[in-house]
Amino acid sequence: MSRILVVEDDEPTALEISTELAAHGHKVTRVGNGTEALDRAIREPFDAITLDRMLPGIDGLTLVSRLRERRVMVPVLMISALSDVDERIAGLRAGGDDYLVKPFAASEMAMRVEVLLRRRTDPAESAILQAGAVEIDLIRRKVYVDQEPVRLLHLEFRLLEFLARHQGSVVSRRIIFEQVWGYYFDPGANLINVHIARLRKKLDRPGRPSIITTVKGEGYRLNAV
Amino acid sequence: MLSDRLRLRDIRSTSTFRLTVLFGVIFTIGVAALLGLIYGLTAHELNARSDRILRLKAAQLSEIPPAMLVQRLRTELDYNTSALNYLALRDRSGRIVIGNIEPPSDLRLDKPVDIAPRPGLPRPLRLLAIRTDSGETLYIGRDITPFADLRQRVLAILIVSGLSIAALVFASAIALSVAPLRRVRDLQSACREIGAGNLDMRMPILGRGDELDLLAETVNTTVEEVGRVVAQVKQATDAIAHDLRTPLTHLRNRLDRVRHDGRLPADLASAVDLASADLEEVLGRFAALLRISEFEAGRRQEAFGPVQLGPLLHGICDLYEPLAEDGSIMLSLDIGMDVTVHGDEKLIFEALSNLVDNALKFTPPGGIVGVTLIRDETGNRIEVRDSGPGIAADERNAVLRRFHRAADAAEIPGLGLGLSVVAAIMHLHGFGLELDDAHPGLLVRIRCPIRQDTGQHVPTNDDRQ
Repeated sequence: MSRILVVEDDEPTALEISTELAAHGHKVTRVGNGTEALDRAIREPFDAITLDRMLPGIDGLTLVSRLRERRVMVPVLMISALSDVDERIAGLRAGGDDYLVKPFAASEMAMRVEVLLRRRTDPAESAILQAGAVEIDLIRRKVYVDQEPVRLLHLEFRLLEFLARHQGSVVSRRIIFEQVWGYYFDPGANLINVHIARLRKKLDRPGRPSIITTVKGEGYRLNAV
Repeated sequence: MLSDRLRLRDIRSTSTFRLTVLFGVIFTIGVAALLGLIYGLTAHELNARSDRILRLKAAQLSEIPPAMLVQRLRTELDYNTSALNYLALRDRSGRIVIGNIEPPSDLRLDKPVDIAPRPGLPRPLRLLAIRTDSGETLYIGRDITPFADLRQRVLAILIVSGLSIAALVFASAIALSVAPLRRVRDLQSACREIGAGNLDMRMPILGRGDELDLLAETVNTTVEEVGRVVAQVKQATDAIAHDLRTPLTHLRNRLDRVRHDGRLPADLASAVDLASADLEEVLGRFAALLRISEFEAGRRQEAFGPVQLGPLLHGICDLYEPLAEDGSIMLSLDIGMDVTVHGDEKLIFEALSNLVDNALKFTPPGGIVGVTLIRDETGNRIEVRDSGPGIAADERNAVLRRFHRAADAAEIPGLGLGLSVVAAIMHLHGFGLELDDAHPGLLVRIRCPIRQDTGQHVPTNDDRQ
């Protein structure tokens, strides 16, 4: 169970975030203003923070900047009604780890928190990522399935690496597109589907279930075993 | 698009030209009639004067007794130093008794006539024949060469002045037509831009208060009003989209929670899934509408910087290549020379991705989608060409508007906003967007202006080698 600090002054939104994160098994602490949020984030060991941009007291950008100044490196998901890419860039530059625009699907928000939590627990120095029969050598950029080498193109490797880093969790097409390709628009379901299908074709072995599961209406999950 | 060059054919069809020519022709006819009248009166007066002289001379010679007539004529001829007067006497047998000419014998008596030069008549003459008391015929002539010369000169003046006036009228008609025609061209160009959807455009007004200024003012007022109404409608649409997004998202989130609760029977769960999918589509439309509004408001130019189109197009083709392969479509990329433009890299990527995605959607298996980057003397162009059914010429502008989908696109999934988003992004960058026939298929051409002011070095293939 992870401890999440939800910083949101709008009651219905705060409730929605808390409910969704609690449904994912996290322990949620709700705070409605920036000053208290800064104080608690410094004092208490949270695993992640969802942070509204516009807050009474200290605004979201200042809050995350002050956290980073004090070496509090807890992952922060910025949430804002401001949709411009410029705003997203400003949020990430201030120290935010991800940016979500209001209104948002609660499941999408939870997925992003999961991605942040996973990033936090990743052993940064690890050179090998293992997911079931798949082994990814991050240094030599090689992939093995059942110890047999598999040839992947550059983008296929990045896609697999991202899925493997979040193995066991469902990640949406949109998050995949943002994290692997770095663009913030909806490329349509079909495009990511064919990239996943291509990856499956190279990784799956006959007689065994696919290593990547499609979760209808939500996204994909790389199976850990 | 209109050519800036004015052609004679265009000038000829203007009202100013036609009116000027019409007035010129009427004026020329008037001047010609006046000159003709002067000419006629002058000729008549000259003839009348000659006739008076001839009759006076005839009267003098008639009074001379027949016996002395020959002697008198000889004297007259001897003293005829001016060489203007001519005399001849023909006896009853038709023989010339005396004279310095040999006139025809069949002249009507007492009626002066003009006689052209001929053997026996060295000069053109006005000639009067009279019968003497003794039955001989006396011819009195006067050289009319000076009168003929004068008439020729008057005629030449008439022709030359007529032609000069005609030329002057034609030149005036052209000169008078050019300025109004240029003005009309400017107005027409502004009108076309307004018609293409640029409601910020206004008709040029010179401030002369002439009829074109009045027309331009009227059109500008109308366009302003139309723009105001369109803006109001757009604001209302955006407000609806914006205000509905939050409750609809809450609704979808609640449906998701109900769905994942796990207590729903299968048929209800599938109904909830369908409702969620419908909501997702509506939210997608709202998001796209708000994005278009954001681009149209031009709020995104802060993120502008140099964008290398070559690597960007490579990235797009890498992204869509599996989709093309999946649909058995050949996706090709041709970059003659790399080009750097000023813009927002993320947005240009999104717009071009949208075009490639669209091309792949509408191209049947076995078809081709080609992406080309061209740099030549006309500027930079990106072309996305497919071998699908294309878009009918009369629909090409309409598909750039929100929610419009081509008639034969009903089978293809989409919100009908993709090309509107592309158009808005292109507009934000000041890039031209044209849809054309690829024979067969659709050709989308993007014209990127070359920036002269940045002084940026545009990398070429040579640089990379």
